[in-house]
Amino acid sequence: MSETEPNNNKYNPNKNSQFNFLKLLKPLASLELTVVLFVFSLILVFAGTLAQVDNPIWTAVSDYFRSFYVFIPNQVFARFCQTFRWISPTAQWSGSFPFPGGWTIGGLMLANLLAAHAVRFKFSTKRIGIISIHAGIILLMLGELITGIFAIEGNMTIEQGGVTNYLELKETSGFMGKVNGPELSFSDLSIPKKEKVVVIPNHLLRTGGKISTPLLPFDIEIIKYMNNSSVEEIDPDKKEEIANLANTGDGIRIRANEKNEASGTDKDQKIDLPSAYINLIDKKTGKSVGTYLASIWLSLSSLKPTQSVITEGGTKTEMALRFKRSYKPFSMELIEFKHERYLGTNTPKNFSSKIKLVNENSNENRETLISMNNPLRYDGQTFYQSGFLPNDKGTILQVVRNPGWVMPYLSCFVVSFGMLLHFGMHLNTFLKQRANSNA
Amino acid sequence: MHKSNPIIPIIAVVLGFTYFCFQAYQPPDPVEGFHLEEFARLPIVDRGRIKPMDTFARVSLMVMNDGFQTFKPDISEKEKAELTTLKNKSARTPEENKTFTSLSEKDKRQPAVRWLLDVMTSRFSDNDIEKQKVFRIENDQLLRLLALQPRPDLRYSIEEFKGKMRELAIARQVANQKDNVNNDPFEKSVLQLVAQLISFFNIASPAEKHKVFRIENDQLLGLLALQPRPGLRYSIEEFRGQMGELEKASKVADQKENAKKDAFDKSVLQLAHHVHSFMEIASLQTPLVIPAGKAEDWKPFMQASLESRNANQADPNTGKTAFKYFDQMLDSYQKNEPLTFNKALIDYRELITKELPAQSEISGFEVFFNHFAPFYHCIVVYLFVFLISCFAWVTAPATLNKTAFWLCILTLLVHTWALGSRMHIQGRPPVTNLYSSAIFIGWGCVLGCLMLEGIYKNGIGNVVGSITGSLTLLIAQHLSAEGDTLEMMQAVLDTNFWLATHVTCVTLGYTATFVAGFLGIVYVIMGIATPTLTPERDKSLTQMIYGVVCFAMLFSFVGTVLGGIWADQSWGRFWGWDPKENGALLIVIWNAIILHARWGGMAKSRGVALLAIAGNMVTGWSWFGTNQLGVGLHAYGFNDQLAWGLTAFWLSQLGLIGVGLIPRQYWLSSRMASKTISIPAKLQPKQA
Repeated sequence: MSETEPNNNKYNPNKNSQFNFLKLLKPLASLELTVVLFVFSLILVFAGTLAQVDNPIWTAVSDYFRSFYVFIPNQVFARFCQTFRWISPTAQWSGSFPFPGGWTIGGLMLANLLAAHAVRFKFSTKRIGIISIHAGIILLMLGELITGIFAIEGNMTIEQGGVTNYLELKETSGFMGKVNGPELSFSDLSIPKKEKVVVIPNHLLRTGGKISTPLLPFDIEIIKYMNNSSVEEIDPDKKEEIANLANTGDGIRIRANEKNEASGTDKDQKIDLPSAYINLIDKKTGKSVGTYLASIWLSLSSLKPTQSVITEGGTKTEMALRFKRSYKPFSMELIEFKHERYLGTNTPKNFSSKIKLVNENSNENRETLISMNNPLRYDGQTFYQSGFLPNDKGTILQVVRNPGWVMPYLSCFVVSFGMLLHFGMHLNTFLKQRANSNA
Repeated sequence: MHKSNPIIPIIAVVLGFTYFCFQAYQPPDPVEGFHLEEFARLPIVDRGRIKPMDTFARVSLMVMNDGFQTFKPDISEKEKAELTTLKNKSARTPEENKTFTSLSEKDKRQPAVRWLLDVMTSRFSDNDIEKQKVFRIENDQLLRLLALQPRPDLRYSIEEFKGKMRELAIARQVANQKDNVNNDPFEKSVLQLVAQLISFFNIASPAEKHKVFRIENDQLLGLLALQPRPGLRYSIEEFRGQMGELEKASKVADQKENAKKDAFDKSVLQLAHHVHSFMEIASLQTPLVIPAGKAEDWKPFMQASLESRNANQADPNTGKTAFKYFDQMLDSYQKNEPLTFNKALIDYRELITKELPAQSEISGFEVFFNHFAPFYHCIVVYLFVFLISCFAWVTAPATLNKTAFWLCILTLLVHTWALGSRMHIQGRPPVTNLYSSAIFIGWGCVLGCLMLEGIYKNGIGNVVGSITGSLTLLIAQHLSAEGDTLEMMQAVLDTNFWLATHVTCVTLGYTATFVAGFLGIVYVIMGIATPTLTPERDKSLTQMIYGVVCFAMLFSFVGTVLGGIWADQSWGRFWGWDPKENGALLIVIWNAIILHARWGGMAKSRGVALLAIAGNMVTGWSWFGTNQLGVGLHAYGFNDQLAWGLTAFWLSQLGLIGVGLIPRQYWLSSRMASKTISIPAKLQPKQA
């Protein structure tokens, strides 16, 4: 190749500019670069898998795959060795090294692929296969990009016989749909049928310090924020070693303890359940209304998810630390939740939720069944049977809005077609050759 | 080339066929004696599945007995001696003949179903045995000691003197300290009663004497006051006294975090679990044996027994009659009355065939399948094929290659039949768990290699097919020791469509990657240790590897994407980056590396072969390694043997790659090649 192209250049001065452009693209189009990028992606995927032993899966996803660079701790490789009992299970390997992240490797792969086709592009029937394969791969990567940026995931919990019209957004790793964790909400219920809600977003809670807003009659001082916590009831007869931070509300009888962040391989807990101790200071008097315990645990227990805060002026506000909510124009009522088991065992066979879907805007009112492997697609979102409340008292649906969901389907089709064509042609030529040489 | 001889392949195939037929043949039950085979065919429900008694018995026994589906009954020295004398006796009386048959039967390994019947008839649940007034106590002093009132027939039940066992034990100790002659009548009657009690309990439960519990851990053996012995198998009887210790230790172990459990804790928990399942069978709480019209309504014998006593309990007729027959079977087995047993069995069988025709037919088929153990015999014949094809390198290649090829096809047919039978029994696509993936991968490897052999006819397909076939089936054999291999699916996996498409595709991807890897190994070994890697063979091997990698790429990519689509269908996430998904992705990337390195000229024939061997390592990680990672926190999830197996596999592959990196001029094949053409080579122009 390198011998013929300079000649081309001499005899076709018109194509000069184009050639220079291609020449620039050439190193980017090289197969060597492809292989190197593959090797990098191999290492990244491997390290990103190992990282899930100690971190929640979405932390691994956002650190490794949806990032431009990542510092891979050596500890992940220690985990690998420990899995196979090559080293002691308590060994710690300190240090880390920088590595390109998923966006970088993916972007370079895309550039490499496009450059290769630009430089070596020749359309012939022989190349339809390879072009389809690569087009499909591009679709797949774009799909993952769109998912990474736009997809939003949430949960909808409906109690047996209850009605829910909002999603709870838990932690996700998307760009746009990025939700860090629960928020602190204050609702004013003084006007009937209308809820006035003031919400303190999660990142402010994490930062700590004093938060002041004209919307609330008090300032909020974060005493302690716990990313992940467990709660226990306080035994009034027992002398506590650490003084209780809370002096009013539920915090008097319940204590929250800090816990390590949940990791992706934890069996029973896959998400962080935060708690916070907050001091509310009355704006008028400058005196403390009280130090409360706000915890996601309290909101999850359905007895009384909120705590009442009454200032000296007599305004009453309902406070709760709860998952970020996204209200929908429709509501869902759980008619029946079914939990089938295999005979004579506790192994679940199927879960299903019979739902009544009501949308007043479109005058819709219908029943539908959501079960394992049979989701409901509605209003641009998909509702999946994901879990259930203790004692089968309600259902938990996973709700996903992903504008890129159709891309993998297309990609799978295009790539399969390409591979069958490409490898099929190879096989055909090969078999013909063999037949000729044998003859 | 030698001319191929058609006779030898034909003989080999006929011999192979005979071997399989011989293994498949199931001798009928003896006319006299218990019809155990017939009993084994009865359908029952266990772990959510209707299965034959046979499978339940085999799996339960195998789990305790470390992989063995048969057991050796306990035979005393006295009985052994009697057996030898009877054996040597030329003329035996009919009575002696009977003893001889029963004793020689006792000396052989017994089927699992006999063990199951022994356990089922130990009737731990039955409080009645303690109520039976069977102990004759005449001595006044002893009666007083046991706080019993003299009554006309002088017969008492255990229940009546249970509270005085301690006193009895002390009296026995005192009596034992004297010579028999010096014992007074009281002491004599104490010893007599104790002896009666011991034999009564032994008769009540022969199952407790079967040495089927494998205990390896020294510390645990110490705790249970057992001596290490060859085989390391013990009976409940031997550690019954230490049961309290075991319970205590298992409670302590259970409270520890999984990561902190040591080998002792694990073996304690394991044994406690085994004893628990033994007790569950012995108390007839498992399996569900009393059938009902609806599958959900099957009952354990225990429950049916309680209900039968309660006359008010409305019970469907089937269940009631079934209970009656089953009760008769257990009763007559316990009393050693084969005729009554067989009669009740026939009645029961008729009832169940009428009520559940389809299930009982499948059950019967499964028993045949269990008995045949086709996968095991496939391993044997595959190994034979491997030996033959290795021989083929040394002598008469054409004939032996043909022999290996046809014998391999025969074995593959049996393998295929067995795979299909599992699908028929389970009503599912071939791959549903790790065990079935091993079987399916083996099947795919052999099929692919035979296709290669059909094209190239150079013997390489035979070698790789037979070795991958037998290795994967050996792995499957090992995995099957964990329990029922036809277990039910988790709720989310309960979809035949995705199991058939995604799982099958990904597994075929694994298969093709392994085949390419083993072809790579053949390349290295042939090149370095034999003179047979001629340029022509080099070329065809490279072609083979390349073609198989293309297949691997196709199946692993499509399979992985289909998995993503399934995930999108099930929980709305096309790609979740979880360990198993990433494992599949690694295979796709690895195959892409091989193909692009070849297209870019970065890897030539040897490079591709070595990369393909490394593909084995990647596939090993995806197949087994990711499981180790994901379930590392589960109680019994971490499997040390698997971890060591995988480590050894990786080291061997690394070793082969290392060997393959030895410069070409030291390879035996190139040294031989340069020798033969050394003179003309000088005259010819050098190759670029």
